[in-house]
Amino acid sequence: MTLWGALAGGFVGTIVLTSGLRVAQELGWTRMDIPLLLGTVFTDDRDRATVIGVAVHFLNGLLFALGYYAIFRAVDQAGWLFGAALGVVHAALAGGVLVTLLLPAVHPRMGTPWSDAEETPLLEPPGFLLVNYGRRTALWTLIGHVAFGAIVGGFAAGF
Amino acid sequence: MERIDGYAAIRDYALVGDGRTGALIARDGSVDWLCLPNFDSPSVFARVLDAERGGSFRLEPAVPFEAERRYLDDSNVLETTFTTAHGTVRVTDAMTLSDDQAISPMRELVRKAEGMAGTVPLRWSFDPRYGYGARRTRIERRSRHWFAEDGSDALVLGICDAPDGIFADGIVTGEVALEQGHSALWSLAAAHGEPLVIPGRSDAERRLARTTAFWPTWAAQIQYEGPWREAVVRSALVQKLLVFAPSGARVAAPTASLPEWIGGTRNWDYRYTWLRDGCWSLDAGLRLGFHKGAEAFFWWLMQASRLTQPELRILYRVDGSPQAPERELPWLEGYRGSGPVRIGNGAAQQLQLDVYGGVLESIWLYVQHVGHIDRDTGKQVARIADWVATHWRDPDSGIWEVRSEPAHFIQSKAFCWIALDRACKLAERGAIPDRSVRWRSAADELREFIETQGWDEELGSYVRATDLREPDASLLTMPLLGYGDPKGERICSTIDTIERELRKGPFVYRYLGDDGVAGTEGAFLTCSFWLVEALAHAGRLDRAHALMDELIGLANDVGLYSEEVDPHTHDFLGNFPQALTHLALVNAAVGIADEEAAGRRAA
Repeated sequence: MTLWGALAGGFVGTIVLTSGLRVAQELGWTRMDIPLLLGTVFTDDRDRATVIGVAVHFLNGLLFALGYYAIFRAVDQAGWLFGAALGVVHAALAGGVLVTLLLPAVHPRMGTPWSDAEETPLLEPPGFLLVNYGRRTALWTLIGHVAFGAIVGGFAAGF
Repeated sequence: MERIDGYAAIRDYALVGDGRTGALIARDGSVDWLCLPNFDSPSVFARVLDAERGGSFRLEPAVPFEAERRYLDDSNVLETTFTTAHGTVRVTDAMTLSDDQAISPMRELVRKAEGMAGTVPLRWSFDPRYGYGARRTRIERRSRHWFAEDGSDALVLGICDAPDGIFADGIVTGEVALEQGHSALWSLAAAHGEPLVIPGRSDAERRLARTTAFWPTWAAQIQYEGPWREAVVRSALVQKLLVFAPSGARVAAPTASLPEWIGGTRNWDYRYTWLRDGCWSLDAGLRLGFHKGAEAFFWWLMQASRLTQPELRILYRVDGSPQAPERELPWLEGYRGSGPVRIGNGAAQQLQLDVYGGVLESIWLYVQHVGHIDRDTGKQVARIADWVATHWRDPDSGIWEVRSEPAHFIQSKAFCWIALDRACKLAERGAIPDRSVRWRSAADELREFIETQGWDEELGSYVRATDLREPDASLLTMPLLGYGDPKGERICSTIDTIERELRKGPFVYRYLGDDGVAGTEGAFLTCSFWLVEALAHAGRLDRAHALMDELIGLANDVGLYSEEVDPHTHDFLGNFPQALTHLALVNAAVGIADEEAAGRRAA
């Protein structure tokens, strides 16, 4: 079990997660656009937001990989299956708390269910389990994070 | 005011709201429509759709009275003055905006009564019925407040400086004798999926004051100094009320199933965002100087349509979802017996090609006046234009969402031409990938189609559809968005035909032919304002001015318009207040102002 393996897994896992959601977007299965959501925290220029968002997402991927690694060390177990199981928890955290509650609370351009006529947000809030971005968004979020977890787990364990 | 079988005239309603939902309040002080927590949520009060079962929140003198109303200066805060033989009382109604000094309720309706003269006996009743009146709501008294709950929804009614109510037969009722110089306040706070915030008087008063101060500040941004400014400002305030602030979407109206004819079956749910309305709203918003609102709507538009692009749905929910399944609510009798009551909107699945013209026009306006579009969005826009170039030959249901067989509606074809024309212009600017050779070729074919198959020499007009050789008021929109010369022979002749065949006084019917729905309907107020604008652009300014004057006089006492009107009685019909009518009013006023300014410059 290695830290560098986990970080490499985080990098590769983020590529898979981001690409997978992008494919789902292009196929009309979801409107979830993580780089845009993250990047628009910093700018309302969509082009720049996407670039910044991709960078932030990769940084997040590495930070989460560190979290995964800490758990692997704590239970002294790593592997793609255990990583995938953690991915389910990760998806629940992302879809149920991080993007649903925390991101709208800190995002300067995103609405919340409490936004009123005084505000003019540019991005709609994601809603519970991200359903405002398409009913299948929760499913794709789950699949993406399970893949992320499996990759981090596999890399950390040295395959 | 008199109620007929328990129903107030639609003209007798006013709207208060907070940018998330809105309450219809009648002249007699009854809140007869309120959906919580959002515009498209099920209603808690729906007396406007069923006088017995719908539920309401009433506050009125217990003795005969006269009522006068107004919105406080350029605001959406309603003030009703009740004059009785015993004295005068003033009621202020508002849905409050959040503040940061104390935790605010998720939604809050504040009703404040002030004694102005004498001592006026007031009575009030609180009768919430969740789920569109499907069930009587459980009401409990706890901690000196009245609580109503239904699943994850809850309400709490706080009563300040008035005797407590009595609970009987599922309704809380109360009375208070309000003396001059004294006041009482009712705060109705709502929660959905979270604990209720119990309102206290000082907090509610502060939010009311803050809300009253916010609206004039917002209205002061309106950059319009032309004729009918008061009506234009009121229309802008109505528009703002109908924007769902969390997403930037705009509902067509805050109500469902108010009938297009009393006793008729044309009862539809308008609590959705129609993309074509977005085009008119972006245009009106930019004309009044609201660039930020236009930007928010553009972002919403591109995100909401993402799942279906390059095809566009005609309407979306305020949360961006394209699903709006239509169903009937058989337990509600409908406004003055006008059933069925429908929620959802079956037209959501229709093909209506004019939507594409509206959307591309919106994007063109956005790029011209607000900002650039990113590469990803540019690619999406180009794909939409490609789709139009391929599909403009398909029959559709047209702007009026007919439920008869799809046809080749000429207004739809003209708007496809507008879509392709704007795509070419966007490509010229470098805003979207350039496939203008293909788009221009399709646009030329379209123009040929419209000018040959869409023109009737005998009628002297463009026609409703290739196989419906009759006038249609939607054809007035062609010159408004730049199809044809607005002063040209064919456009002017079409205006003449529409005035001759469809106009009755200041009113204009949409069309007179079949549309696949039983029953009749009133005249469509938006068409009257379109006629004003078309006349102005055709150079017939005197006639445009005169018609506009007449139309401005038709608003209700607080400056609101519904969708339709009965030309014989001038009664309002259809959902209320109607965004499209108010948008058309703004565009007509600005259109006349622009033409008059151009005339002065030319002179």
